[in-house]
Amino acid sequence: MTEVCCGLRVGDEVPDFKLEIFDPTTGDFGEISLETLKANKKWTILFFYPAAFTFV
Amino acid sequence: MAEQYEKFKRMGAEVITVSTDTKFVQLAWQREEKMLKDVKYPMGSDPTGNLSRIFGVYDENTGLALRGTFIISPEGKLLNSEVNFYNMGRNIDELMRKFKANMYLATHVDEGCPAKWKEEGDKTLKPSAKMVGKVYEAYER
Repeated sequence: MTEVCCGLRVGDEVPDFKLEIFDPTTGDFGEISLETLKANKKWTILFFYPAAFTFV
Repeated sequence: MAEQYEKFKRMGAEVITVSTDTKFVQLAWQREEKMLKDVKYPMGSDPTGNLSRIFGVYDENTGLALRGTFIISPEGKLLNSEVNFYNMGRNIDELMRKFKANMYLATHVDEGCPAKWKEEGDKTLKPSAKMVGKVYEAYER
C-alpha cells in the first residue's frame, strides 16, 4: 500500500484493511475486514472516537 | 448509535466504531458503562493508529483518533467524510440522512440530493444545461 500522508478524500478508493474487534453480541473478540464486507455487498460506516471511557 | 444500529444494519450497512484502544479495553468499557449495555455494533481496535492515519484522523500528539465518520460504498469507495474535534459529538440522524442519500444516489447516478433532502421521494435535482442559473425554479417546482 502506498504511503498516505494526509488521509483519504471522498471519491478515493479505500485500501483493504483488517481490524481486531470486540463483538458485544457474542462477548468475544474477532476480526473484520473491508474485503469481506465488500464481498458481502455491505456498506461500511467507520465511526472513530478518541478513547474508550469517554463520551461517544 | 446503539438504538439506530439495527436500522443501519437492516439497510445493508455494517457500522464499526474504532479507537486506538486495545480490544481488551473495548470489552471492559462496554461491560462497565451502562450507556453501552445495548451496544451490538463491533468495536474495532486500532492500537497502532494505522487505520486512523489512513483516514487522516490520527492525532500524533495524543495518540488518539479524532471523531471521524466515514461512509464507504460496497465497491470500496469513500463517499462521505466528517471529522469533529474532540469536544463535539455527532448527530446520528444526520449520519442516517447522508447514508440514505448515498444509497439513493448509488442507483440514481444522474441525480443530486439537495441540502434539504431527507429520504427517498424527496425532491432531487438533475444537473443539466437548462438548470444553469435556474436552480431556484427547479427546486421550487
